[in-house]
Amino acid sequence: MDEKVRLLTALKGDRVDRPPVICPGGMMSACVTEISDQVGGGHHSGSQAMVSAAQKINELTGFENYGVPFCLTSEVETLGASVNIGDNFIEPRVTRYNDDPLETIMENYSQADVTSGRMGVILEAIRQLRNDKIPVIGNVSGHISTASSVIDPLEMFKMLRRDPERAASFLTFINDYLVKYALEMVKAGADVISISDPTATGEILGPRNFQKFALPYYHKIINALHTEGIPVILHICGNATNLIGSLNEVNANAVSFDSIVNMKNAREGLKTGLMGNVSTQLLHTGEQAKIVSITRNALQSEVDIVAPACGLSMATSISNLKAMTDYVKEGPYN
Amino acid sequence: MDKATLFQEISHALVEFEVEKVAELAEETIQQNIPAYETITEGLVTGMKEVSRLYEEEEYFLPEVLMCSDAFNAGLDVVNPHLDKNSLEKPIKIVIGVVEGDTHDIGKNLVRILSGASGFEVYDLGRDVPLNQFIDKAEEVESDMICMSTLMTTTMDGMKTVIDRLKERNLRDKYKVLIGGGPISQTFCDKIGADLYANDASSAVRKAKELMGRA
Repeated sequence: MDEKVRLLTALKGDRVDRPPVICPGGMMSACVTEISDQVGGGHHSGSQAMVSAAQKINELTGFENYGVPFCLTSEVETLGASVNIGDNFIEPRVTRYNDDPLETIMENYSQADVTSGRMGVILEAIRQLRNDKIPVIGNVSGHISTASSVIDPLEMFKMLRRDPERAASFLTFINDYLVKYALEMVKAGADVISISDPTATGEILGPRNFQKFALPYYHKIINALHTEGIPVILHICGNATNLIGSLNEVNANAVSFDSIVNMKNAREGLKTGLMGNVSTQLLHTGEQAKIVSITRNALQSEVDIVAPACGLSMATSISNLKAMTDYVKEGPYN
Repeated sequence: MDKATLFQEISHALVEFEVEKVAELAEETIQQNIPAYETITEGLVTGMKEVSRLYEEEEYFLPEVLMCSDAFNAGLDVVNPHLDKNSLEKPIKIVIGVVEGDTHDIGKNLVRILSGASGFEVYDLGRDVPLNQFIDKAEEVESDMICMSTLMTTTMDGMKTVIDRLKERNLRDKYKVLIGGGPISQTFCDKIGADLYANDASSAVRKAKELMGRA
């Protein structure tokens, strides 16, 4: 079974010889400093460097996929926010929000071109990475994280309570924009789309708001991708234990959880595929024996896909990541 | 309305995040010549304490806390000009920010809001704060505490750097160092030699007060 067949089969819920071990990219990027130093930088803004970084990650860490981009910020500049592109030690981050009224933003960017700017760079990287053997994962930020990177998050959170209809219309606008972008990724050759929405945790929004302002939107983008025959991974940060039941509704092919979530419980509650959840703190600072033992726990909890639990520290060593991927590849399978 | 009822109403309206009502009631305390200090401590701060409790009990989440904080500030804006500064005890001064490389400032903002509501004098450096700035600002404003937050494992080592630099400058004993954020733990706090770890905004304020002997 090659890497692409294995991942796509696992995402379909069919039998595989062993679980794939991946790091999808986006927020969960394995473009650690040791990798970006070899690439020489520029991997957030140039297709060539991006392709080279994605290939080096696959080659050196053993993660069985290509995944681009390596940040959560590629969608927001086109909507008028500013980004500091970072360097080999610090990831890109939003430095200025779009201060216009929401209605102005929605009007000004109603025809926003999802193939322009850094999104265009990423689409080009996907075109160059597409191949028969190694699955290419296109990463899209979730609508709550994107919305709260385009406008001041505190204003957005208040709006959920103060003016829920206005909030919903802005979130719909953002989600539609993300759907368009994800479909362009598919056209470019992405085999899988992974959506991460770190701002949309139940801990931040509360379970009621999560039900109302997060779930239906995920359902919509996932449906649009399923229509194209593309499987979707959804990553939820933080303690999502209370959300597991409701996450069945969104119909993702796999849901990925943070290290605080007990995967045996998740396995029981979740009807779809389960991905996770090797502690990123452990991957950064832990001993390799411990990394192996936690990876074994994940396998014993019957995850369908083994992956880091959340965003990796850029100071994580290649050898620690390799300890995790090697164990999954060689581990005890009967 | 008598004073006690008025305070109760203020506190209640604040918890219900009725911004305008809090401002109106605060206005009424001024007309009744109620000392601003009492309105703040017995009406507004009492309300925010209830908000903290609801937040700890997961009845309220970030959107609700932010709106209550707006109501708190609306009341404060009304009574503050009438405040007799002599009536105040010396506030705990804190310098707070998200360490360099990280822009996740939700938790930090919650601490700012709740500590401000508890009478702390807060100097907010924002997010993605260059490490030296924590120390420079603390020196400038003669702060009691340096509070650092990060959500990312990538940037948590920056907290240690700040503590190391405090030592290098012989300033370590001058400031209490409070840390928090997603990947931060008591173990990490002990390891880098910080004074205090808190796992949420509400307990951060409570523990900070205890540490400063103001509980």
